Formats: sequence, C-alpha cells, structure tokens
Amino acid sequence: MINIQQYYLDTFQVTVPELEKIIGIIQDQGSNYADLFFENTSYRDLLLKDGEVSSGGFHVDYGVGIRALKGDKTGYAYSENTDMASMVNAAKAASSIATGVRINATTAAMIDKPTKAYPGKPNPLADRYPMLADWRDCPTSDFLPILQKLKAKIEAKDPRIIKIIAILSTQVSDLLMFNSSYELKYETRPLATLAVSVICKSGEKVLNTHVSRSYRMGFEMLSDHLLDEIAEAAVRNIDDKLEAKRPKGGQMPVVLGAGASGILLHEAMGHAFEADFNRKGQSIFADKMGQKVCDSCINVVDDGTIRGNRGALNFDDEGVPAQRTYMIKDGVLASYLHDRISAKYYDVAPTGNGRRESFRYNPIPRMRATYMESAGSQPADIIASVKKGIYVDEFTNGQVKIGEGDFTFYVKSGYLIENGKLTQPINDVNIIGNGPKALADIVAVGNDNKVDESGWTCGKEQNVPVSCGMPTVLVKNLTVGGN
Amino acid sequence: MTWKIDEEEKLLCRKCLDKALEQGASAIRITLNKCLMNELAVLNGYLDKVSQSGDRALTLNVFADGKYGTFSINRLDWKELEPFIVKAIETVKMLAPDECRKLPDPSRTIKNAVRGDELGLYDPAFSDFTPEKRLETALNLSSFEKMKEAAHGYSLISEEIVWCDSNYNNYIIDSNGLECMQTETAFEASMEITIQDEDGCKYSGYGWNASTHLADLETASIAETALRRAVAQIHPVQLESGSYNMVVENEVAAKLLNPVLAALNGYSLQQQNSFLTDSEGKQIFSEGFTLMDVSAEAGKNGARLFDSEGVAYPSSPVIEKGKVCRYFINTYISGKMGILPTVEDCARPKIMPYLPATAEKAEKGSVENISLKDILELCKNGIFVTGFNGGNSDPVTGDFSYGVEGFKIEEGRIGAPVRGMVITGNLITLWKQLLAAGSDWRPCMNKQIPSLAFKDVDFSA
Repeated sequence: MINIQQYYLDTFQVTVPELEKIIGIIQDQGSNYADLFFENTSYRDLLLKDGEVSSGGFHVDYGVGIRALKGDKTGYAYSENTDMASMVNAAKAASSIATGVRINATTAAMIDKPTKAYPGKPNPLADRYPMLADWRDCPTSDFLPILQKLKAKIEAKDPRIIKIIAILSTQVSDLLMFNSSYELKYETRPLATLAVSVICKSGEKVLNTHVSRSYRMGFEMLSDHLLDEIAEAAVRNIDDKLEAKRPKGGQMPVVLGAGASGILLHEAMGHAFEADFNRKGQSIFADKMGQKVCDSCINVVDDGTIRGNRGALNFDDEGVPAQRTYMIKDGVLASYLHDRISAKYYDVAPTGNGRRESFRYNPIPRMRATYMESAGSQPADIIASVKKGIYVDEFTNGQVKIGEGDFTFYVKSGYLIENGKLTQPINDVNIIGNGPKALADIVAVGNDNKVDESGWTCGKEQNVPVSCGMPTVLVKNLTVGGN
Repeated sequence: MTWKIDEEEKLLCRKCLDKALEQGASAIRITLNKCLMNELAVLNGYLDKVSQSGDRALTLNVFADGKYGTFSINRLDWKELEPFIVKAIETVKMLAPDECRKLPDPSRTIKNAVRGDELGLYDPAFSDFTPEKRLETALNLSSFEKMKEAAHGYSLISEEIVWCDSNYNNYIIDSNGLECMQTETAFEASMEITIQDEDGCKYSGYGWNASTHLADLETASIAETALRRAVAQIHPVQLESGSYNMVVENEVAAKLLNPVLAALNGYSLQQQNSFLTDSEGKQIFSEGFTLMDVSAEAGKNGARLFDSEGVAYPSSPVIEKGKVCRYFINTYISGKMGILPTVEDCARPKIMPYLPATAEKAEKGSVENISLKDILELCKNGIFVTGFNGGNSDPVTGDFSYGVEGFKIEEGRIGAPVRGMVITGNLITLWKQLLAAGSDWRPCMNKQIPSLAFKDVDFSA
C-alpha cells in the first residue's frame, strides 16, 4: 500500500493549489459540488493457448475525470492530459450543466441541502488490498512458468482434455481524488484475474468449462494453492457434465447451491436497490423502503469491506469510505445503495457505492460484494425437502429489467431433484423470475453462505468488478427453460 | 470542432513504427483510434447530464523473433511513447514463439482508404453542431408533459432521453506498407419511457434512431415508439409451455444471429469451440437463410472498408441458401489452421429476404418486399418476440436458452402481451426451421437483420 500523498501528486503532475483552482473554476460557474478523479492504470495480460504463452501485452490508461453537480444534475468531462490547460477546458465543459439551464423544484431543493456525513472518517489506510508484490514490479517472465504449471496441473486431471486456454489479467491503478469539500484521497488499487477455459472430448460429446478466480491482491495471489483450486474446479464433476441433459421446462422449486447463486441477489434485487433507479421512480422497489418483503430469516448485504475481494474498496470512487450495507435486514428493506447524489436526494449518508469503470465515466450507484447471510437450515435438508425440482450450482450470466423486476440467469450445470435426491445432471437452462416475488418465495436458507471468488463483472452502463454470494436456498417456484 | 487525425499524429505513428523496428521488431502494425463524443441526458423534460469525451489511443501489434504482443497507451507524448515501445519489444521477446503470427500479405490489404471519408460516413455538420444547438435538439425530443396529460389507464413514471453525437477516426499503418484510415460521424437519439399501470406494475419501452448524417436522423417517431412499447405490455397473460411458431422483431433479431457469427469466427474454430466446425461448403441451415457481407456498402451505418488488420472487406455471401460459404479467418488463424485467410469478421452482415415457395407473395414472385405483417400472417399463430432478457448459448453445441418477452400472435395479428418465458433449442436446428425473413431492415443498425420467423420453437412458461 503506497500512502505518500506526494507520490500521487507527482504521478499526475499536479499540486494541491492547482486542484483547488480547477474546483474554483467549476464553482464559479454555479455548480454546488465538484470533484476530480485522477487515474493511472497499468494493465497486463498474458494468454496461454495451444500449450504456449505466445501472446500478451500491457496497456496504459491515464487521465482525469472532472464532475460538476448542480443539485441532482451532472456535468462530466475528462482529459487524457493533466496539464492545467487541458483540465481547465474539461472543467468548463463539465460546468455547462450549471449555466443557463432550466431546473425543476427537486434540483433547486437539492442545491442548498446539506450533505449528511458518512459514518467513519476517510481512511486511505483501510488496507483492503493485500499487495505484497506490486504487479507492475514483476517482469513478464515471472508469470510464464506459472501459467505453464497451471496447464500441467489441469492436463494431469483428465485425459479427455483437448484444449486449455489460460488468461492472466492484472491491473494496478494509482488514484487521486479531490472535491469541493477539499477532501483529498489517494490509493493504489490492484485487481487480478486468472481464468481458464477447458474443452474436453469424450466420444462425440464436447464440453466447454470455464473457471476464474479474481482478487484485489498482488503477485503473491498466484500460489500453488490457487492453481490447484482452479485445476480442480476446471474438471469438477466432469463425468456428470458430459452426461448432462436439458431438463423438461416449466415452473418448479429451485434449490440454489451456495456461492455463485448469489447472482440471483445481484440481478433480482441488487440492481433494483441502486438508488439512481429509485430516485427516478423506475425501480420495482422504489416505494417499498421499510416494508417486509421476505422471510425474517433473510438478511442481504452489499459489502465493500472484504479484504482482497474483487468488490472490495477502501473508499469508493467519490472518496466515501466503503461500508457493509444491509439492503434487507430481518426480511425488511433497509437501505438503497447510494452515491453522493442519491444520498442527498434521499437525505441519508452515502453508502460508499459510488463507482465508475474509469476516469472516463461519472460515478453512479453500483454493487460491491452482494450476498445473503447464512441462516439455520442444513443444505442436505433443503434438498431433501424437494420432491421434484432442480438444484443449480454453476452460472454464467444474468440480467434484470429494473422496472418490471423480471430477471434471468443462465445455469451452466446442476441436477434434477427427484424425491429429495440429486439425480440426472442438467445443463444449459435459463431460469427466470420476478425479483420481489422470488424473494418472497424463498422458503429455506442454509447455514453455508459462501462468497464466490470468480471474476464477476457487472455491466450496468459501465463495467465494474463485483462479487456475489449465497447460502443454499430453496425458492419454491421459478420458471425453468427446458425441453 | 474537428477531431480528425492530423498529419502530426500520422507522423507520430510513423515515428513509433520506426522506433519499434530499430528496437528489434521484425514487423509492426500501429493503430491510432481517436474519438470525440458529446452526450446529453434529459430526464422528464429537464437536462439531467452533460458529458464530453475526447479519446486518443495508440495500439502496437508487435512481431519480434517470431513472437507477438499487443500494447496500447493513451499518453501520446514522445517522452512517454519511447520507453513504452522499448519495454514492449523487451516483453514480446520473453514470450514463446509462434510462427503463425504475421502481418497480412500486402496483396490482401486495402488500397483505397487513404482519406478516411471514402465511404461517405463523415458529416461536416458535426463541426458546426454547437453546444447550444445540441441542447436545443435534445430538449426538443421530450414529450413528457404531453404524454403525462394523455395517459389513461396508466401513469407516466419517467422519460429518459439520451442524445449522442460523435466523430470516430481509425488510422492503421504497418511495416509492410499498409496505410489506411476511416473517419465517421454518428448522431443518435434514444428514449426510455417507464409507466405504471393501475395495479402498480411498471413497464418500460424503448425507442431509438441513429444516422451518420444529422440531416438524415429521423426523431419524430421515437417517443411514440417508446410509449407504445411500454403501454403494450400492460396486463400480460401467461402462456402454456409448448412448441410455437416464433416471429422475432427486427430490432432484436441479431440476438439469434450473433452466436452464428461467433461460430464462424476462426478463433472459435481453431480452438474447437464452435458448433460450425467442418461446415464450410456444406448445407447446414434452411435454404431460406442467406447472409451477405455488405461491410463496404457506402453511406450505410456500420460500413467499413477494412478490418483491424487492414484487410479489405469483400462483398460476398457468408451463408448462401443455407450453405456456409466462408469462415472469418485472419492471418494468424490462417496459419494455425492451414487454410486461406479471408477477413476477420463481418462488419455489416445482412440477412436477405425469404418466403417459402408456398406463401402467397412468393407464388406471385414478390419476395423482395416482405413486411412484418406478411410474416405474422404467414405464421398465423404463435409468439411475436420483441425482447430478450438474458440467456446464453453453448458455443460448442449451439444449445441455447434465452428469456423472452413479446406478444401472442392470433390469426396473423398481434395479441396479448406475454412475459416470463424462455425459449430453448439448438441454433443449427433453429436456423433450419427458418420460415421467413423480411425486408424490414432498420437503416440505423450495423447488423441488417429483418424480422424473422421460425417454426416450432420450444417455449417454457
């Protein structure tokens, strides 16, 4: 963790008085809040394919995003240069939101409304990104034997493997933020993902599996333990998967296995809790705050505080400390996920969910690590309670319609449940439902919550790294696409 | 404001190329992308967001000692670029060799894309489009107050408009003498309407249009389209699971073509990750399925003269009457698979009209002008899909499962809305069951996909 203010000022070739000057220019144009977000990100990627690491590269992305707010209205511009002339031009472009534009009563009311203080003090030393070895300091040659070792470990698992693709992607961002409250934040934020695609062939059957692990960590992440775990996951239940069939479709009980099933929370309710949708009245949860929506045993959290997690943050991209936010507490809707704009609109403290893909984007409310806390049921008992349904445990993606609450997620693998037992392996089905209804239909929650460590990326307007988790859960009725 | 690539930037690219060769690269391709974009968002008739972005990025595809790497940077000062290039060459030399990594043969690369405006995609009006004019244009798109007053049986929750105009430039040189450029402008307006019915259920509808030239952008119908789509979803009905004829609206039909294009891609084929392996030259799909590559069609949205290697796009069928005519094979995959290269993708695919010989219009010999109405009448009963909600397909088997929404088709007419349904099947089987393809392509879309009809698709509800 680098924590020397001057290092960041030097990286972006700016001084504090210059930052103040830019903020002053924006405020002079009539904005009631302004912030600057400096980013210098070094990306590296390496690709192992056809047995060799024969492709790779690195990429540099540098610039500053400048935001001007007038009430709930946003002006945004960015510059790939951080000299004063370029920043002044961008500041003037962003400030156009505040000049000569008609505003409504809501905006007018927000301009003078004080911002509620967020809990805790800004803490650049929260240290949620263990990075003993900075990826930027490691030569590419250090990574090649690791990818080869991973390939060997996977190959040794099963002779039916015909292709292995492994991709190592790393990024390290130096970030500096300054706002019109004169808060100066800075940190170095790592993120690395090791992903593997494996193609197996058995007779005429071909199977494609994909596994990834992603962390906010340094080079030490690439341990033998991690390689073993990925290799094991790449071939897990491979015989079952080769025998998998698409089940008969229709409405049925669905048991969601612990871990990656958290995508249900992300899609079915997480997005609808992002306060920008609620501020606009578009979310299906827009008028349900404080209402009981599901069983009292259900607690859902969006958490930015898990050390090393892909969704972890010391502070968000508006400089607000990351927090652990209960979205549902004891079955009752407890909080939306806020950035500074929506927090002010709702007259609450920001929750540290203001995130952005890069300096090219203005921050908006986004999830971090979203999961359901464990409750009291034994996973085996949950499965045993289902006479006819499906158990699902591997997913590839999901999607939601915010207004309607209709969500879908794609199941890569699972099993039929017949008379309380897992039987025929299944694959390639889509599960759809409605967020509030699915929540209300959760009738059992296991004691085995697990936060999935795959490389989940959420694509709401901008791509940001997230993670999700879930204990074993029984939803009494969902629509399953099938034959 | 102009944002075209200038001579100074071209010289900088040349300097980078020379520096890379001097540092030991055996070959190199330099790509400069430059984009200026202005965006305005209007919420319920009031300006909600203004943003302006200007991007420049240099990408180096480096070949050295039979090895290969890709590098990019957006800091275009020589003091930043010089050490970047040195480090890039050093990095490439650490990788494993791959003899198939080469630049394309100069005989295949484009020769007639020098100025950048050869396809007629640049509108000089972009430079004169002032912030004031932009704001006036975006605000004038709003019909919020009018729609609010006219609402019956539902209330209007929000109207979100996004206006976007941009100038994108792409310049490529390589050490085999390639030099090509494309410049284009785009003007786009979109609107999302959210309504709430009397039961408290919310529905949203979307309308949009885009054009390379400002004067050609039609925006009058966007609000009406968005509202109509939202209102039409009120009071959905639940259908029984079963096998139905399916008509897919032109706006969303690309969802079913995209996995086919991916399966034709050389990377997928070479990695045995395609359901169209060993399909070239074979009859795979319905005779009604003809897919043309019209990438180089001048003046059209999404048109391009060359791919990212600088290879010229041909005008030829990709799939003709159900037969796979060619894969998308770039120079690298050509070497890996030992087959002739083509181009790496299809920038502007176009599905050609089709009606079965037994259809009334076909019997009259009139198959060039096929409307959605013709297709609905042909299907008679089934489901009209107007939106996809998630889902996926298996690249190896082609098995798919997609969430869908839309309407019942009853006696050739659009009926009650349906939602919460999933279609499942196999992409080869699906395209074998193509019943009809319209001629109602939307000019604003890069992929020219008309309304499509398929026979006997499995729906779960």
